[in-house]
Amino acid sequence: MTRRRVVVTGVGLVTPLGAGVELNWERMLRGESGVGPITRFDVSTMDVRIAAEVRPLPAVPEDASAPHLGIHSRFALVAGREAWVDAGLADARIDRARAGVFLGSGKGISELEWLVEAVCASRKGNEPTHYPAFLRAGLTSFLAARRVEEDYAMSAGRLAAAVGATGPHWVCITACAAGNHAIGEAYEAILHGEAEILLAGGTHSQIDLMSLSGYSMLGALSPSNDEPHKASRPFDRRRNGFILGEGAGIMVLEEYEHARRRGAHIRAEVCGYGNTADSHRVTDPRPDGLGAENAMRIALEDAAVAPDAIGYINAHGTSTTQNDKMESEAIKRIFGPKGEAPPVSSTKSMIGHLIAAAGAVEAIVCVRALETQTLPPTINYENPDPECDLDYLPGEPREAQVEYAMNNSFGFGGQNIVTVFQRFSG
Amino acid sequence: MRRVVVTGFGAVTPNGLDAESFWKATVEGRSGVARIEGFDVTGFPVRVAGEVRGFDARTYVSNPKSLKVMGKNIRFGVAAAQMAMENSGLKDRPPDPARFGVTMGSGIVPTDIEEIGDAVLASLDEQGKFDIRRFGEEGQKRLFPLWLLKHLPNMVAAHISIIHNAQGPNNTVTTACSASTQAIGEAFRILARGDADVMLAGGSDSRIDPLSLVTYTLLGAVSTAARPPGKVSRPFDRQRDGFVLGEGAAILVLETEEHARARGASIVAEVVGYGSSFDAYGITKPEPEGRGAAQAMERTLKDARMAPSEIDYISAHGTSTILNDKMETLAVKTVFGAAAKTIPLSSIKSMIGHLIGAAGAMEILVSVLAIRDGVVPPTINLDTPDPDCDLDYVPNTARSMRVRSVLSNSFGFGGQNAAVIVREYAP
Repeated sequence: MTRRRVVVTGVGLVTPLGAGVELNWERMLRGESGVGPITRFDVSTMDVRIAAEVRPLPAVPEDASAPHLGIHSRFALVAGREAWVDAGLADARIDRARAGVFLGSGKGISELEWLVEAVCASRKGNEPTHYPAFLRAGLTSFLAARRVEEDYAMSAGRLAAAVGATGPHWVCITACAAGNHAIGEAYEAILHGEAEILLAGGTHSQIDLMSLSGYSMLGALSPSNDEPHKASRPFDRRRNGFILGEGAGIMVLEEYEHARRRGAHIRAEVCGYGNTADSHRVTDPRPDGLGAENAMRIALEDAAVAPDAIGYINAHGTSTTQNDKMESEAIKRIFGPKGEAPPVSSTKSMIGHLIAAAGAVEAIVCVRALETQTLPPTINYENPDPECDLDYLPGEPREAQVEYAMNNSFGFGGQNIVTVFQRFSG
Repeated sequence: MRRVVVTGFGAVTPNGLDAESFWKATVEGRSGVARIEGFDVTGFPVRVAGEVRGFDARTYVSNPKSLKVMGKNIRFGVAAAQMAMENSGLKDRPPDPARFGVTMGSGIVPTDIEEIGDAVLASLDEQGKFDIRRFGEEGQKRLFPLWLLKHLPNMVAAHISIIHNAQGPNNTVTTACSASTQAIGEAFRILARGDADVMLAGGSDSRIDPLSLVTYTLLGAVSTAARPPGKVSRPFDRQRDGFVLGEGAAILVLETEEHARARGASIVAEVVGYGSSFDAYGITKPEPEGRGAAQAMERTLKDARMAPSEIDYISAHGTSTILNDKMETLAVKTVFGAAAKTIPLSSIKSMIGHLIGAAGAMEILVSVLAIRDGVVPPTINLDTPDPDCDLDYVPNTARSMRVRSVLSNSFGFGGQNAAVIVREYAP
């Protein structure tokens, strides 16, 4: 039996730069920033007051029947439908039992406000919570339908229902690596023969009060409130934390012969996947970058290519002090120093960190780079850092001959996911 | 493709704080469901659950600083992983870190009401309304600065990988009630394709908290029956009226056959098949005909290259809701045809309730032990036959029999279906 091959036949994006792959790609090549003051809720007393918001929130047909749709589901439906249509599947006759959904997904947002009634009913001064009162108040103040829509799995469920995909179904949350992780596992599932078509990617929003507060207290976010466009500056010496972003990136992965038979337009091929864990600390990456390095090596081995075949790396590049240094060192150990290593860029400089969606959005960036033979820039790279001394494509996009692109994603908690894509030439 | 075997297991359950005492209780048909003690439920319509009692995380985690960032679900998972490592003999002879991974099923981590309550109260204005500006000034200071770390579902697998130096593939699956079946299925795939030698795979979950209890009650999913606690969960019984929440963790050590044999491990069973599907029907209801569920079972049988007639026992999803148990019965009939009535099928949820993200792992653990000991556990509280549920549910008493292969089902709230097949190991 010949080895099955997995190709990308559709892509969809909703990011702080807008909805639609082409719009995103144009704006990324122009080096635009989607970061600005947070408008969704009052942040006047918060330490961090900026993020990369999707504005306005796109409407979806499900709004008519699901008034409490989670924001993660909303983004997944927008990006997933775009990918489905892009792949020419809207009216195609396919076996829907051989089509499925693999997503890295965050959950919907639970606000504090709706707890107020129950908390107030159950707390008197410094006395401990009176739970019977809390439960009683909860029965009248909570909205169960909204809690259901919050679940991590709801985004993939809504999307699979929207396209009628009854095949393999899988949702993961490996923090910032989840979107890339879903693409890697979907690639393996198609190779293994479990499905012919999988919608794979990630969706997430953590631009909510509690998450903003939580990440801020962990010291992970950039506090550069006065210059939002400049706040996300991966690899720059003055980087000081990441910027929360939101959105979704979803692609249609398809078995090659299946795509060819139905005359689908093939955008790229998925050819490598590596998955490792740092096994270090829950709060920061291994300083030696061993986990990241191993994931890159495994992905290269899986793709059966030498490091010098890689023409572009879309970095995890979060704009935190630790990640960007660790990642640069891990890249150098495999690919050599500047001059030998391929160009690297972090599109998080423009759209912030989409957490569970980040790796999937960046995978689509890799696909577009291979298709257009153009590499997107890292913006705000102004002050070289001696500890980050690679070619980060500062400020300007670049035309280049690229046969293979690598996509790095490293999750909070130590999960490292790397995928490799190949230009499709027929 | 490499063969994948089970060489160890660990569990923290409502029916025992380790796998063997849980298994003993299961075979004896004891219920672990009781009145909720974790918080005062006086006057609330739902007052029972399968709580883990007498568990002390300090037995498994010596560093008090680590404990501070571990919620209940993380503590259960860490303890089960520790026991699984010991049980498999890997504790003292750890595998190659780069070839050793973790996949866990998990889900929404409940909010700590005490902690969030302080923050909410400090954020109220003079009229008692939540004032977001006051939250920024005062409220958030009442929160534990690292609270976020307790609320990320991937932290169970992260802590386990750190404690046991597992630097290989790491994942957290969140497909609701199917999550840990899929986590075990994924570990099986990872090992079969050669991406690791050893995987810790299972699930860990706890939804017995005020917020989840209110939510599941409002959804009408949990039973409000006024019965003795041990009698409330009654899968396939005509008087069933909803599930009972449970909590805990179950973790298996999965290993390639080659690796297990090379180290002389004791092999308990083999994992031979995995499959998943989606209903694409409702959001909180299963597809009534059980087509999606049947599809998952059929895919799993195909993956295992087995005929339905080769299955000796089915570890059911059997939640004790009216819809699920009827649907699952129909789906089993679709897959197994006339033979459906001759295959014993039981639901351990009758004894421990529904562990959501840990349910599937608990049921796969039971499948493995059924093969090891030649006994299938009962469905307790099956007192009144339901004409819609007319299979052999092993009512009330365990049955000794040769068990060569078991199909374990999980069907998620929302339409995610998954199944795994484990088989007696023969070299």
